[in-house]
Amino acid sequence: MATGVQNQERVPVNLKKQLVLAVRNIQWSYAIFWSISAGQPGVLEWGDGYYNGDIKTRKTVQAVELNADQLGLQRSEQLRELYESLSAADSSPQARRPSAALSPEDLTDTEWYYLVCMSFVFNIGQGLPGRTLSSGQPIWLCNAHYAESKVFSRSLLAKSASIQTVVCFPFSRGVIELGVTDLVSEELSLIQFIKTSFSDGPQTFVSNKSIPVAGRTGYKKDFSCPSLLGCEQQEMASPNDSSDGYEPNQPAEDPFMIEGITDGVSQVQSWQFMDEEFSNCVDHSLNSSDCISQTVVDHGNAVPLSQGEKDNDNELTSLNLPSDDPHYQTVLSALLNSSHQLILGPHFRNSNQESSFVSWKKNGLVKSQKARDETPQKLLKKILFEVPHMHDKGLLESPEDNGARDAAWRLEADEIYGNHVLSERRRREKINELFMILKSLVPSNSKADKVSILDDTIEYLQDLGRRVEDLESCRELTDLEVRTKRKRQDHVERTSDNYDDNKITIRKKSSPNKRKACDIDEVEQEIDYVAFKDDSTNNVTVTVSLNKKDFLIEFSCPWREGILLEIVDALSILNLDCQSVQSSTTEGILSLTIKSKYKGSTVAKPGTVKQALQRVAWKC
Amino acid sequence: MENSTQESHLRSDNSISYESPYPLYAMALSSMPSRMNLNHQRIALGSFIEDYPNRVDIISFDPETLSIKTHPTLSFDHPYPPTKLMFRPNGKSPSSSSSDLLASSGDYLRLWEVRETSIEPFSVFNNSKTSEFCAPLTSFDWNDVEPKRIGTSSIDTTCTIWDIEKGVVETQLIAHDKEVYDIAWGEAKVFASVSADGSVRIFDLRDKEHSTIIYESPQPDTPLLRLAWNKQDLRYMATILMDSNKVVILDIRSPTMPVAELERHRASVNAIAWAPLSCKHICSAGDDTQALIWELPTVAGPNGIDPLSMYSAGSEINQLQWSAAQPDWIAIAFSNKMQLLKV
Repeated sequence: MATGVQNQERVPVNLKKQLVLAVRNIQWSYAIFWSISAGQPGVLEWGDGYYNGDIKTRKTVQAVELNADQLGLQRSEQLRELYESLSAADSSPQARRPSAALSPEDLTDTEWYYLVCMSFVFNIGQGLPGRTLSSGQPIWLCNAHYAESKVFSRSLLAKSASIQTVVCFPFSRGVIELGVTDLVSEELSLIQFIKTSFSDGPQTFVSNKSIPVAGRTGYKKDFSCPSLLGCEQQEMASPNDSSDGYEPNQPAEDPFMIEGITDGVSQVQSWQFMDEEFSNCVDHSLNSSDCISQTVVDHGNAVPLSQGEKDNDNELTSLNLPSDDPHYQTVLSALLNSSHQLILGPHFRNSNQESSFVSWKKNGLVKSQKARDETPQKLLKKILFEVPHMHDKGLLESPEDNGARDAAWRLEADEIYGNHVLSERRRREKINELFMILKSLVPSNSKADKVSILDDTIEYLQDLGRRVEDLESCRELTDLEVRTKRKRQDHVERTSDNYDDNKITIRKKSSPNKRKACDIDEVEQEIDYVAFKDDSTNNVTVTVSLNKKDFLIEFSCPWREGILLEIVDALSILNLDCQSVQSSTTEGILSLTIKSKYKGSTVAKPGTVKQALQRVAWKC
Repeated sequence: MENSTQESHLRSDNSISYESPYPLYAMALSSMPSRMNLNHQRIALGSFIEDYPNRVDIISFDPETLSIKTHPTLSFDHPYPPTKLMFRPNGKSPSSSSSDLLASSGDYLRLWEVRETSIEPFSVFNNSKTSEFCAPLTSFDWNDVEPKRIGTSSIDTTCTIWDIEKGVVETQLIAHDKEVYDIAWGEAKVFASVSADGSVRIFDLRDKEHSTIIYESPQPDTPLLRLAWNKQDLRYMATILMDSNKVVILDIRSPTMPVAELERHRASVNAIAWAPLSCKHICSAGDDTQALIWELPTVAGPNGIDPLSMYSAGSEINQLQWSAAQPDWIAIAFSNKMQLLKV
């Protein structure tokens, strides 16, 4: 960008002042002088400019009170400085950005437009300034922000900056461009006025007709009456008369109009919105072309050339941005605010090395491709579809998965696209909601993922089931107990001390989450269930108490041959491993104390054990 | 540069080749220069052998002398082909550690410490004990804003976010209805993923309950195979569909409607990479043996967008990486070869 600086020096100093005055007089937003580049003939680049548009009010207090004029000048200089610092940073990304008085966040959209303009370069015949220079005639562009990029390459930039009117006319050794955020219909007298003001000094502009500030809704243009054009024509033809005291004005058709300059030099600049809240209405339609108004006064004929109105339904501008989705809005603002980089252009530095790539040609490939019999994207598909399954040989694969994969490859397309998406999405959301409800019903750990929720629910249900069963059988026993009288006092006393005779206590403390290993001898008994059955007629009493996996069975019944074996058998059927048996026989009554342990994974209920033993006892 | 295309792949002075003993798929370019010579670019190459024993080799490239140096000691075994390799990104603050870190995905996410003469396994991230969801990984992405964060995508429909410094899972999300094929970070806490269900979704770690679908493949259930997020301009993302020659460019601000479809490949596309320093350039490579560089205009013409330049390789190009450390170089992998192309 060094040439930019050099170029500025070639621009006469007076020109800057004239620019300032000119734009202030007509109260437009900016003025730019595009000068013919010294380094590259046939190319227009930034010469000088003055920004007269809106600025963001600065919160910092100015050290020196400047009047409005000086403020404006200072602002323009600051903008230039900022541009230079940013472009310096761009060319050497390693270096720290040199500090400028302004930073990108301080600029309004229009200022930003002005700043980005500094990076533009036009060939003769290209872009608004280029065509102005080549034709030698002024160009007045209304609705610049809707213009096609062929006509006005900065149209998208203009759109964000709300620049609606741009005027270019050749002047001195370059082109002067003026722009404004209002829609000003064409007035060639304005251009004339500007030119005269360059020589005569400050004047006020009195318009021949009122300047309508048309809204953006209408696309009506105000075609200037041909007569006005006609009379202006004379003056247009000789724009040089008014300027004296400057460098000799060469006619626009000067040797700089070199045809056939390659297009490679022009740079379409890229940039980013710096606003805090970006507009959602950025037009991304690739082929948008609202009507533009362009009247080019030709030497030959006075008929204004204008592009026809293109009817544009503006369908493309309506975006599907879910504006009712506040979550996505926050995501977007987080993403787009965090990026502060300014990239000024896709510089492909042509270093000493020649590129491996060749320019793309439409029918580029001389040798045609061999017929591809194999699967497309073969390796990629293998990496994604097959390699992961190599790790889990068949563990995760299920017939459904395979089927789904094949279906994907077969590209079934029988579902209605839009409805499917929406209903799927609703279904997913419903499922998530239900999971949340389930979580609230189930006492569980803090984990909130679906798997844990289901796990905890299963455990809880099993737990509740156990409790219900125990409660029910306990209720039976209470009824039964009331009707029978106890026989064996001492027997009962041997049972747990925590409760009275004839009382059946069920103490169940289930704390499935506390899986600490505790000693059996400890006081904490996780599950304690006692079944008491006294049958006086048969002298059968069964007491079963369960401590975790250990059963303590106290059993008495009338003795008969082989009963001990049967008892042990019955217990082993229930997966109980008898570890110690104390037995004694008195008066024909066998009393047993058996300690047994579980050798399976599921613990049988004490009720089941009791029933089994009773069956044995009653078999006589 | 009016050379005919026939010669493009014969020009050995401008593209540097390396031939490997086995077919290659995964490839990574280091963003940290080697300590010996600051200009050297380290490249990790993962083999694709459809069997258990696979290898990852590291070679280095010197752009000054245009030469490639192999390092037999910088090599390690990997169970089955690695699905992706990636070096630790530099991030906003230059890393102070002296050795480079390489991450690989396959059955698990693994980190390897690349020293001057050896590679040591650094850690294995295996969450099978703490989660039901611990399936092999299809891809991963290293967050360059927050380099302690790596996001992985898996065939069990989940994406897992790891904190690699602590070695724990930050979070695990069920991202899609089907297998997730690729994941890409946008910002420290925002990532996007693509899946066999044909959707591109954006997730924000600050709001895990919600995700936004920003694109769905036009034929429902056409898997989207790869995703790339433009790190210079976070508005844009690129994705490729299965069996398609199109590169779909998306604007995150306008969901469901792609901003552009780059349709100049003559066969299906296998890999995409945005330019590391420019926000408008993207490179794509495919089965038509071509690597195309595209420049995205602000307004497209009526006939679609044409690429800027192209390169023809010897066979289908399976992998493409655009070097962040040396932005003038693009690495491609096809069959057994790796080539470095000057942009």
